[in-house]
Amino acid sequence: MKKLLALLLTLTLLLGTASALAANLTLGIYPPDTDAVAKEVHDTSYIPAFKVALPDVELVPANYIYSGETFTALAESGKVPTIFETWYTEPQKLIKNKQVADITDQLTELGWLDKINPSIRALLSDENGRVYGIPRDGYALGLMLNAEVFADAGLVDENGIPLFPKTWDELIEAGKVIKEKTGSAALCLLAQDNAGGWHFSNIAWTFGAKLQHKDEADKWQAQLNTPEVVAAMTMVQTLAKKGLLTSDPTSENWGTGFAALGTGSAAMYIAANDAVMQPTQNNGLPVDKLMMVGMPAGSDRSYSLSGGTPYMFSANATPEEIMAALKYVEIMGKAPVLTEASKAGLVADAEYRVDAGIPVIPNFPVWTDEEFNAAQAEVVAKYSNVDARMFQNYFDTVKSEGNLRMEEPMETQVMYAELTKVLQEVVTNPEANIQALLDTADANFQTVLDENINK
Amino acid sequence: MAGKKNNELGVLRPYDFVKPSVKISYALLIAFLVLALLVALMPFVWVMLAGFKDQREFIRGLRHALPEGGVRYIPRLLPEVFLLERYIKTWNDTRFYRYYLNSLIVVAGSVISALVFNGLLAYGLAQLKPKGHKLVLGLIMGSMMLPATTSLAPLFVNINRIGLSGTFWPLWLGVGASAFYVILYKNFFEALPDSVMESARLDGCGNLALFFRIVFPLSMPINMVIIIYAINGTWSDFLLPYLVLNNAKWPGGAPMETVMVRLFSYQSSNQATDIDIIRAIVFSIIPPILLFILFQRRITENIVASGIKG
Amino acid sequence: MNHTGWGARPTRDGSWHRLKKDLGAWLIMLPGLALFTFFVWLPLLSAIRMSFYKTEGMRITEFVGTYNYAFILYKDPDFWRAVQNTFMYTLWSLLIGFVVPMALAVMVHETRRGKSLFRTGLYLPNIMPALATIFLWKFLFRADGSGGVNMLFQQLGFAPTSWLSNASLVIPVIVVIMTWKGAGATMLIYLAGLQSINQEIYEAAIIDGAGVWGRIKHITIPQMYNLGRTLLILQVIAVFQILYEPMVLTGGGPNNASVSLMQLVYRHAFEYGDYSKASSISVLVSLVLIALTLVYNSISRPKEV
Repeated sequence: MKKLLALLLTLTLLLGTASALAANLTLGIYPPDTDAVAKEVHDTSYIPAFKVALPDVELVPANYIYSGETFTALAESGKVPTIFETWYTEPQKLIKNKQVADITDQLTELGWLDKINPSIRALLSDENGRVYGIPRDGYALGLMLNAEVFADAGLVDENGIPLFPKTWDELIEAGKVIKEKTGSAALCLLAQDNAGGWHFSNIAWTFGAKLQHKDEADKWQAQLNTPEVVAAMTMVQTLAKKGLLTSDPTSENWGTGFAALGTGSAAMYIAANDAVMQPTQNNGLPVDKLMMVGMPAGSDRSYSLSGGTPYMFSANATPEEIMAALKYVEIMGKAPVLTEASKAGLVADAEYRVDAGIPVIPNFPVWTDEEFNAAQAEVVAKYSNVDARMFQNYFDTVKSEGNLRMEEPMETQVMYAELTKVLQEVVTNPEANIQALLDTADANFQTVLDENINK
Repeated sequence: MAGKKNNELGVLRPYDFVKPSVKISYALLIAFLVLALLVALMPFVWVMLAGFKDQREFIRGLRHALPEGGVRYIPRLLPEVFLLERYIKTWNDTRFYRYYLNSLIVVAGSVISALVFNGLLAYGLAQLKPKGHKLVLGLIMGSMMLPATTSLAPLFVNINRIGLSGTFWPLWLGVGASAFYVILYKNFFEALPDSVMESARLDGCGNLALFFRIVFPLSMPINMVIIIYAINGTWSDFLLPYLVLNNAKWPGGAPMETVMVRLFSYQSSNQATDIDIIRAIVFSIIPPILLFILFQRRITENIVASGIKG
Repeated sequence: MNHTGWGARPTRDGSWHRLKKDLGAWLIMLPGLALFTFFVWLPLLSAIRMSFYKTEGMRITEFVGTYNYAFILYKDPDFWRAVQNTFMYTLWSLLIGFVVPMALAVMVHETRRGKSLFRTGLYLPNIMPALATIFLWKFLFRADGSGGVNMLFQQLGFAPTSWLSNASLVIPVIVVIMTWKGAGATMLIYLAGLQSINQEIYEAAIIDGAGVWGRIKHITIPQMYNLGRTLLILQVIAVFQILYEPMVLTGGGPNNASVSLMQLVYRHAFEYGDYSKASSISVLVSLVLIALTLVYNSISRPKEV
């Protein structure tokens, strides 16, 4: 009996000490332990600063890599980290399933709410305007070029800057030269998973397509088989028929695309500015050999699909824990707040990029805080390790009026899946009947819209 | 026993070889088998050689200037240089030893669970035979043919419900419910001589003591079979381990993923380059190869002894 | 537990004794039974139950009758393609996967030297973990020159081929990969069957003047027939559940050309998060497998034991 009492007493004490700490911050955005350089930035810079700012908070670094397959399980067992990073496509699903926390009140308190870039804010909000996440980075798709391959193909100006294509027709012409001179593919087109449909939706826009719309009766209608989409798909077919794609687009995904670009087996790849570490640090392309330009124009004009990599918060995080997590974000220099700590965060990040051989380029403005953005620009200019001309066209394009577009809103992943199936057929079968395939895709997608949206 | 050597003989007899047609057929047969052997073994050689390349050499090949201008990159089987450091670097960068350690823990627990739980259940079914045991046997046999993946989703839901996700328990205990092992044990126990059981019982052994003191030690041959199967099966398993362990952490923050879970995550999470995956494949097949070398005879004989499933 | 001391009521002694004994036996079996319940039987039952409900996340919400089945059968754009593919996998595995190990066994059985080398070497792929095998072959079948198979092709003077993105090649190629891994083990079983053939039968046939071909036709083949029949059904059952290979090699592509039924289960459950539709496909697959198992039992039972 005595023993039991003692045990109970110990337990109470343990529980007591646990709750004495104001909050528990499980830091899912802590880097994986395989990324030693990034880890060191957190260990030596961010975490000590955080401990000074909020000494009462128990900070648990626990790298979390978002996985669509198991997130539901994690959420149901209450084990989602307080703050975690997810993919551009996920917020709406997570919000709908009530698996992430509403952070509107905290953002209002901090005064950050109205500083989120409005189009990105829409991605992270529910239909009542409550906000569930903040952007880590914004991104806009463009075209990445391997300057080594362009040099090998002789497609460079007198300064060694690649002569890049501005339209899909020019891309095909340049591609023929590249193929002949270097044997490399012109473009790495993705057709393995939904990323294929994701990239393709951007291609289709440049031909004037709009892939879904809400009709007068408030019903969502699929528009995957319009002449504009057919034109875009026909352009893809031309690329495939002329042998300008990598040898098997159906085995190319987001990651292999960067491998192809970084190693030069493809000269160009559709990618966004927030992924410049992929071809360089991860696949060995020298930092000064990466070029980025705006998305080529089709029969319409250049559009860039844009979005943001979001930070989101566990549904069962307490307000204190959310505040603590936001504090950490601020210390990392990812919030619209200019303090000594956040300035140091910006510098630490730039230094990390220089060390790791990743281009230091201007960030995409996800916050509208001018002071903060100016400070960021200053840090980028100071640590720049690339030739600004290599990124000039990209930033000019995305800043041009009406260039940025958000993803199509409804059942987006299903739409991408349907488009990817069509892409797979088109790149593997030269006889593919594009209209018929798109008609099927349109009908399949409409079924899902009717089943899940137009009830 | 005397005929054993004889059974190694095939259809052909020494005197058949006087016929030229038989000689030629035999030569063709050997040629074909050598080819088959090459097909079986070349992938191992290829992957080990490929691991010595770097990412660019692996994907694109080596640079060659063309006489008429321009360049070509041509892939080839042999790496440009043999640098064992490259393997070592991947091993260290990815901290692969951790995944080995996790796999080892899962394997060890699973082996124990496979022996104890399946053994006890089979002992009940084969020797004790309580009223109603036939029904249990039927249920076990019945579930043997249904794919484990059929019930993967609900199983995963239940594992989460009782809070075992993110621990090794579901992986350890899951092996304790293997219809295949139960049947293997049951067949073996039924063949044990009754006299042993009787004399043990007269000594006053309870059922549990009887099992652990008498039955289990007498069953070393089948225990070995199940140990080898369980090691191999657990080492290779990845779908349930992936669902249960992805993002699970040890108290210090180190991942709890097994080797196979790591390999599987590589495919979806874009965290590794192709060449890292190639090297990870090599790391993941070294232990099974070692196991095979150690127990080669036993393994090839087991397949036959235990019948069909492998 | 010493049973000899019991016997207070002689008339009921037998049944009481029996009851106590049974209770002990059930206790011994209890842990195993609990595990079977949790890991095997309960999930099967919940799969059946879930298939009649709507789910939200992992929670059951409302009873919808056969709605999920109707959706799968009439509206799911991938279901019938997956059914068709699954049958194609089975068919190809009969053409390739069934014949190869049998042929290898017959040939290895005839070798007069190096038998154990062939046996061990051909078996070696079987010890590869499934996932490592699939990854390895994914690299080997890469469409450009960096893939091992195309490397060999180019050495022999052929152009590199896109193996896995060719809609008409992808299923046979996947079956070849499965055969590469599995043939060695099946071969060993056949080999054991061949070695169990009584040599006197051959001797007798030779005395009767049977030639080499005659011996194969009248003795070897009939002897392998029973074993082959059993292995055939087991193989069909195994191939019917194919999941990992298309999932990792092709994701089911190109344009669903290799998607399998079990892969649809995985997609619905873990990619779309729709556990109820996943369950209804599982139940449909299980029904087919039960039917196949019944066929297997009716074929193999009279022969065995």
